[in-house]
Amino acid sequence: MKSPFLAATALSLSMGSAALAADKADVLTNYANIAEAKYQDSLITAQRLQTAVGALVANPSAENLQAAKDAWLASRVPYQQTEVYRFGNAIVDEWEGKVNAWPLDEGLIDYVDASYGGLSDENEYAALNIVANPSFTLSGETIDAAKITPELLAETLHEADGIEANVATGYHAIEFLLWGQDLNGHGTGAGDRPWTDFAMGDDCTGGNCDRRGEYLKAATDLLVSDLEWMTAQWADGGAARNAVLVDENAGIVTIVTGMGSLSYGEQAGERMRLGLMLNDPEEEHDCFSDNTHNSHYYDGLGVQNLYLGEYVRVNGELVSGPALADLVAAVDADLDAEMRVKLATTMMALGRIKTAAESGFAYDQMLERGNAAGEALVMGGVNGLVDQTRSIQRITATLKLDNIDFEGSDSLDNPDAVFH
Amino acid sequence: MFRTLALSLAFALPVPVLADQTGKILNDHVLSGFDELAVSSAALSNAAQESCVASSEPLRAAYATAFDAWTGVSHLRFGPTETDNRGFALAFWPDSRGSTPKTLSGLIADQDPVVDDPEAFQSVSIAGRGFYALEYLLFDDRLSALGDADYRCALVQAIARDIAGTSRAINQDWQTHYAELMQSPHKGGVYQTQAEVLQEFYKALDTGLQINADLRLGRPLGTFDKPRPKRAEAWRSGRSLRHVQVSLEHLRTLAALLAAGDAELAQSLDIKFEAALTKAAALDDPDFSGVATPAGRFRVETLQQTINDIRTEVTQLLGPTLGVSVGFNSLDGD
Repeated sequence: MKSPFLAATALSLSMGSAALAADKADVLTNYANIAEAKYQDSLITAQRLQTAVGALVANPSAENLQAAKDAWLASRVPYQQTEVYRFGNAIVDEWEGKVNAWPLDEGLIDYVDASYGGLSDENEYAALNIVANPSFTLSGETIDAAKITPELLAETLHEADGIEANVATGYHAIEFLLWGQDLNGHGTGAGDRPWTDFAMGDDCTGGNCDRRGEYLKAATDLLVSDLEWMTAQWADGGAARNAVLVDENAGIVTIVTGMGSLSYGEQAGERMRLGLMLNDPEEEHDCFSDNTHNSHYYDGLGVQNLYLGEYVRVNGELVSGPALADLVAAVDADLDAEMRVKLATTMMALGRIKTAAESGFAYDQMLERGNAAGEALVMGGVNGLVDQTRSIQRITATLKLDNIDFEGSDSLDNPDAVFH
Repeated sequence: MFRTLALSLAFALPVPVLADQTGKILNDHVLSGFDELAVSSAALSNAAQESCVASSEPLRAAYATAFDAWTGVSHLRFGPTETDNRGFALAFWPDSRGSTPKTLSGLIADQDPVVDDPEAFQSVSIAGRGFYALEYLLFDDRLSALGDADYRCALVQAIARDIAGTSRAINQDWQTHYAELMQSPHKGGVYQTQAEVLQEFYKALDTGLQINADLRLGRPLGTFDKPRPKRAEAWRSGRSLRHVQVSLEHLRTLAALLAAGDAELAQSLDIKFEAALTKAAALDDPDFSGVATPAGRFRVETLQQTINDIRTEVTQLLGPTLGVSVGFNSLDGD
């Protein structure tokens, strides 16, 4: 039961912000349109990857392996820009572990180097090697893996034994199957899986080439179907779109939550600062392919393009419309300017990492102990992200989103839960 | 009671900011805590120079005192603790990929001369520095006996010295400028308003509670089918429960200082902290290995629930009373 006082406040709040209501609806529609475009682009590029993987498995060759790798790299460009939708949208957050889980104990999937270390305190299946084993025991149950199917990967093997590092599906599982382990430590160079790991008959290296190809196809098919599902959630009438549009104020909170949570806890903390502080090349986000500089860059770009409300599609088309920036500028032009400058500063810093990596200074080299230039580059990105989070937080206060967030909580629908 | 609380919520009127509220929080909670950390860490380093063997009682005692001091301020991870990643250098946990034993084994196997150079040691992976690395060297069966004893001794001394240096740097920054900076928010500064300063402390309180409930207790709890006692914090030294207690004691002080403008809320929060501490004291399971049994698990879950109750009151009542929200914290990622 709601208290009459609270109901009255809610009413006055909504009346006070009536003038902005139309704008909010437009901002949310554009937000959903950009989501739909980003997931559609992720789907299109994953389908291209699927075609390339099909060709590799049917006709294994160095050229076909390279074509599949190129398709994977291209598919990451739109996908990383969707990550800003993850936090705040429950539908995305519950789903994303299937497609982008990381870090992974890759020994679960396929053969690994002796230096890998085998099973750990945390994960007794870290070296299971599904490719080599058509049957094995998992949490006391015998698993028939004679045929590697999308269902087997998704329902039985992914997060096996309740361990998050048992990543059997998604971009990073596919990345490992295409590139193999990066055994260069802090040196240049990515994983170097030979194309013959997919070859038939006597040419096969690494053993079980047919099962490796089957795994790669199953994982790619699964990625495509998962992306189809998510694209549909953002289409007209889709559940994710509806969830954002149903309550304007909560929808705006969702946008801000995504921007802040990705910037701070996830990207600045977990992905960038921690890897640097551990000096561990395996703490790279895209460690097999050495694509981490792009992974960070497009994550950052996703935050910036949501604030500005514009996204360039993989076919070059621009999707744009009213944005959070407009709502902020209407209330506090200085804060809007501050936010824009900080987002641009972050993109400059992430751009430096990307530029250096593309010209030969690999991200794993930047993480090496005592590498001052690398540390400065990575910390430039971290500092930019931390600093922009402060401004995102100010937006929460300026747009008076605190009250709204509070209003949507359980405690008001069920006051007894709090006031006992 | 319900009526009064509802009223204060409805109008969401921030209580008039107490003129010296920030000053009191700084003096009674922050500065004293970091001073204690600096002093006890220096004592730890001295103890390690005196005797570096893992079984040394004075060394273990100094380690316990300093680790207590860190635990008491570990929720204040902003400003001087964030500068140069000092918080991570003191305390890298949870370590879900086993980086700490891996890094220490590597240093010992290579007899890495980095231990002889305090400045160079600051560039070592955070997995090989700080209180959790030292715990492995003092309490882990394998690492406390691995490789060459002289090298291990030098490594213990290097880590202890590094902890002392990091703690001293944090304390210095607080005493010389960060406390002042928090007392003078202004446009263009790190904190632009008094509300942003209070939000920082409020966020620290909420994050601290979350770390106790979700990490310190949540990690060993795992799931009912698969409890994970070895994921408990500092179980090797039997300090897992103690950390929850020490942390709650300090968070209780911070909560009282933040709620100072609303006597009723302050009292209500204090009662909740008292309940959690009473449950913790009765637990009798220093390393949370009890989570492996249904009865032991139930008691740890009950404690977790009590802490979550505090957290609910903090977010639902204290936040609106102060006129601030949690914003974003470092646990937002996955």
